[in-house]
Amino acid sequence: MSVHSERFSAADLPIDGIDSGSSILLTGDDTAALKTVFARLVAADDDERSIVLATNAGGRSIQRLLNDARSDAGSRASILTAEGPARGDDVTSVDDIADLTQVGMQFSTLVATAQQSTDRFRSGIFLCSTIAGEVEDTRSVFRFLNSNFLTELRRGEGIGVVAIDRSAEMGTNVDSMISGMETSFTARIDIETTGRNEATLEISGIDGNEGRVDVSL
Amino acid sequence: MTRTVLCVDTEARVSDVAATIDAEEDLTAIEATSVSGAIDAIDDEPVVGVVTAYELDDGSGMEVIEAVRKRSPQTPVVLFTDVSPGEIDTSSFKELVVEYLNRELPDAADRLGFIVNDVIDHSAQVGFLTPDDEDERLKALDSYDIEELPIEESFDRLTDLIAAHFDIAVAFIGLIEEDQENFLACTGADWDSLTREDTICTHSMLQEDVMVVEDIADDKRFNKNEQLENLGIVSYAGANMTSSDGHVIGQVCALDHEAKTYTAEEKHRLEQFAETAMEILELRQSVREARGMEVSQ
Repeated sequence: MSVHSERFSAADLPIDGIDSGSSILLTGDDTAALKTVFARLVAADDDERSIVLATNAGGRSIQRLLNDARSDAGSRASILTAEGPARGDDVTSVDDIADLTQVGMQFSTLVATAQQSTDRFRSGIFLCSTIAGEVEDTRSVFRFLNSNFLTELRRGEGIGVVAIDRSAEMGTNVDSMISGMETSFTARIDIETTGRNEATLEISGIDGNEGRVDVSL
Repeated sequence: MTRTVLCVDTEARVSDVAATIDAEEDLTAIEATSVSGAIDAIDDEPVVGVVTAYELDDGSGMEVIEAVRKRSPQTPVVLFTDVSPGEIDTSSFKELVVEYLNRELPDAADRLGFIVNDVIDHSAQVGFLTPDDEDERLKALDSYDIEELPIEESFDRLTDLIAAHFDIAVAFIGLIEEDQENFLACTGADWDSLTREDTICTHSMLQEDVMVVEDIADDKRFNKNEQLENLGIVSYAGANMTSSDGHVIGQVCALDHEAKTYTAEEKHRLEQFAETAMEILELRQSVREARGMEVSQ
């Protein structure tokens, strides 16, 4: 059932050859920069589908973001949003982002449905820090990531990106939590904003792309 | 090895689900047709996984999942139902989290067998993250003949020293197995083991440096953890025990019943205690292996 073949590339970023099954922890303290890099990693190519859990943005906003990253990628996305209404087949909404049982079931359903039409997918959570700040017990976030996110990457042909805003209030030691999560993900990209529309990405865990790279946002 | 999976569904459907599970190599199904029947079954016989429908005669599958989590939080559950997520009432079960599989998918039966095997093999629903070298780490841990090594007295002395040095209530040396942490020595408390998702060491082992939690009441990773509360733990500092091939197999920890900070020097000192514990383990293992070779010659 799990077939790992052609690698994934990021739109408009000097990152190529991301192995299927890769889980990328994307961190930074500039939400706008995080959003742009997230979209470039998650925007689906022609033969792919994106599945995005959006905690702080509506479905249309995410579709536009994906379109900006890659031509027409918004139309190849299934979005589960905690902000704004459901729209058609492609935007589903949840009332309460802290209801991880409901969020997880909805997210798994979107992934399973996407796989009925195409094998290759890119899944993403923007922002996991918002979820961590909303739930009662952080263990639920880990259970959610294990049950409904990381498992799909192991089973199918896809990559996953989890974005964390380091400046968010998560009710825990953010550095300690990220450092722990980093060892469970296959790759880490940390974004440091260096100027207007410019940033440096510190990349680890993606073969051939290790190290620091400057990008325009 | 046969692995028992509890299948919970209505009278009319449970045998189909059980047949799908039985068709998988190494899986054996047992059946229940109600929430109460499922709870009885879990209490009667250890199971490695549960597949439950949502709609049951005396309640919902969410109640089955809740019962499993309370008894065995690391046992994976698959909610296998034709009820869509939006129609499932999760308002009282917001942080249960479960694998959901819609049985109306064209390949639902094939997926069920695959998913049940997968969630069991990968402990896929645990409430903690594992390092990406987890399999190799467990092999490294397994390479030590812990039960046979005369380390108890040395480790007891070491935890006594740690407790005295930091003037803390509890010091322990624990090895982190797949499902639980086993305490090899513990000064100030009488602990044998703790489920892995209930230990702070599960998080500490993922960090290269010493992890300090000054007051667990301020940290959402730990402040809803009843086990820690029951043990009276307020502050924590943990240093890695790292094997010679680079895998973190355990922790040396300092705990107190009061909030506590640690200076850089104190953290360094705790790392030194952890290195000492590891050296004791390695030396005892080397002596045992050398004696084994002598006997075989």
